[in-house]
Amino acid sequence: MIEAIGLSKHYGAKTAVDNVSFTVRPGQVTGFLGPNGAGKSTTMRMIVGLDRPSAGHVTVNGKRYQDHTAPLREVGVLLDAKAVHTGRSALNHLLAVGATHGIGRKRVDEVIALTGLQSVANKRVGGFSLGMGQRLGLAAALLGDPATLVLDEPVNGLDPEGVMWVRQLTRHLAAEGRTVLLSSHLMSEMAQTADHIIVLGRGRVIADAPVGDIVATSTGTAVTVRTPDAARFTTLLSAAEATVTSTAPDLLIVNGLTAPRIGELAAAERIVLHELTPTVGSLEDAYMQLTADDVEYHAGGFPTPQEDAR
Amino acid sequence: MTTTTAPALPGVSFGGILVSEWIKLRSLRSTVWCYIILIVITIGLAPLVAFAYASQASQPGMVIDVETSQSIAAQVLTASIGFSQLVISVLGALVITGEYGTGMIRSTFTAVPKRLPALFGKAAVFAVVTFVVGFVALVTGLLVAIPVLGNGDITVDLGDGALWLVIVGGAAYLALIGLFSLAVGAIIRNSAGGIAAALGAILVLPTIISIFTVITQAEWVGNLSNLLPSNAGARMFAYPVEMIQDDFLVGTPLEPWQGALVLLVWIAALFTLASVLLKRRDA
Repeated sequence: MIEAIGLSKHYGAKTAVDNVSFTVRPGQVTGFLGPNGAGKSTTMRMIVGLDRPSAGHVTVNGKRYQDHTAPLREVGVLLDAKAVHTGRSALNHLLAVGATHGIGRKRVDEVIALTGLQSVANKRVGGFSLGMGQRLGLAAALLGDPATLVLDEPVNGLDPEGVMWVRQLTRHLAAEGRTVLLSSHLMSEMAQTADHIIVLGRGRVIADAPVGDIVATSTGTAVTVRTPDAARFTTLLSAAEATVTSTAPDLLIVNGLTAPRIGELAAAERIVLHELTPTVGSLEDAYMQLTADDVEYHAGGFPTPQEDAR
Repeated sequence: MTTTTAPALPGVSFGGILVSEWIKLRSLRSTVWCYIILIVITIGLAPLVAFAYASQASQPGMVIDVETSQSIAAQVLTASIGFSQLVISVLGALVITGEYGTGMIRSTFTAVPKRLPALFGKAAVFAVVTFVVGFVALVTGLLVAIPVLGNGDITVDLGDGALWLVIVGGAAYLALIGLFSLAVGAIIRNSAGGIAAALGAILVLPTIISIFTVITQAEWVGNLSNLLPSNAGARMFAYPVEMIQDDFLVGTPLEPWQGALVLLVWIAALFTLASVLLKRRDA
């Protein structure tokens, strides 16, 4: 159980986290979403005491992380930035981290096997790929067999097999009754892994609900229409104030009208439909709508060919 | 007192932190290389300096008394410290700045979130290892140098307690100057900056002040110079009898124990500042 109350973090004049309160419950995977710079990593760093909150506080199982006598056995943490000396081998890194808590070679070998690092355990971390670094970070997080896991972008850099493994691992850990908080940018991954979602935007909580509820908030669901009479139907739909885009001669993507309404319109005008499919809202759609106003770093639009030519 | 019913799995302990820091120290190539260089310099320079003394002593008409022999032995065995202190300073700073540079410090502080035990554990392991390596290297250097000195009819009495104090003082000086640099590194947190600042304080500052001493010939500037970390610390491995009278000597020289005390005060002050910053800053 992680509880944040009124948590804030300022860096000079910049506010990274702004009066955030939330609870991460045991027995489920809680996804932490938000655009770059929304304050996810800062919040995770405050959970494990690496950053001092400017205001408010956050506790893990009722105590501040620093006040636990065996912090590694309470919380396992993987931060997105690498937190390993590049000149040391994976094995020695884990031995050194474990030694502080009296965790010995036996457990270190277990987490090495669990994360599939056996073949590179004696190699220096400096030569590791992003995926191997990520596996080492997970191994370190699991060292103390903690009841709570805080994982910042755990699948970042992992191959598809690794992504699936992390999904199964986090589901398994939650099923054991542990508290799992993980952040990711991969929406499809999050939709499959998380039970509950907390969305941050510009340092504030903008949503905190079960995955199903979040997905249900997705509005403006598009309807796919296939018709041999596309040109005429487009004019009719536009007159009914729908937005129509076309990706093939007989294919229309309609926004702004429900599927039954489109069907009625077609029947009234005696237009033949080959397909009428409402697209189900995805977590990604919901997320995009939630965070549309809170994206700090907007990508520039793609240049049009004309602009390119100039 | 609270009673725990759960089978208590070990939490953070200072003993565990010491083991952890020992694993960290020995598992980096930079550490191993720095200690190898220290050993090579210490053992290699002693016979060279001994050779110089021996050839001087074998000039006709030179008579070396017992006290002078012992003093020469002390100079021979500590001749390397001027160089090896630089190696240890670099290592001392790197031991902590290397963690900041690579991000390892975040692993260290999540394992030991109270932070100060990690700093002090690191300092303790580094100081002890440096003392032991320095002591063994200094003794070995002396043993290698003794036959060379013998060629110039300079005989060394190993039963002389004052000579052993020089050896212990030299090894302790290396450990302390390493701690000084470690504290500087903990404050600055950046390898290049930490090394530059530590070497500046150990090497450059004394040179600048000594120029002022020569120019002004002022007693207080000389005393100030004596209080600099490396100058004060150097008294720790001075043989009780000064062989050469230094014409440039201005100010009152410190006793060995005073020199050690001054260096310890420097280290305590820097560690106090480092501790305050370590607790306050984000990692």
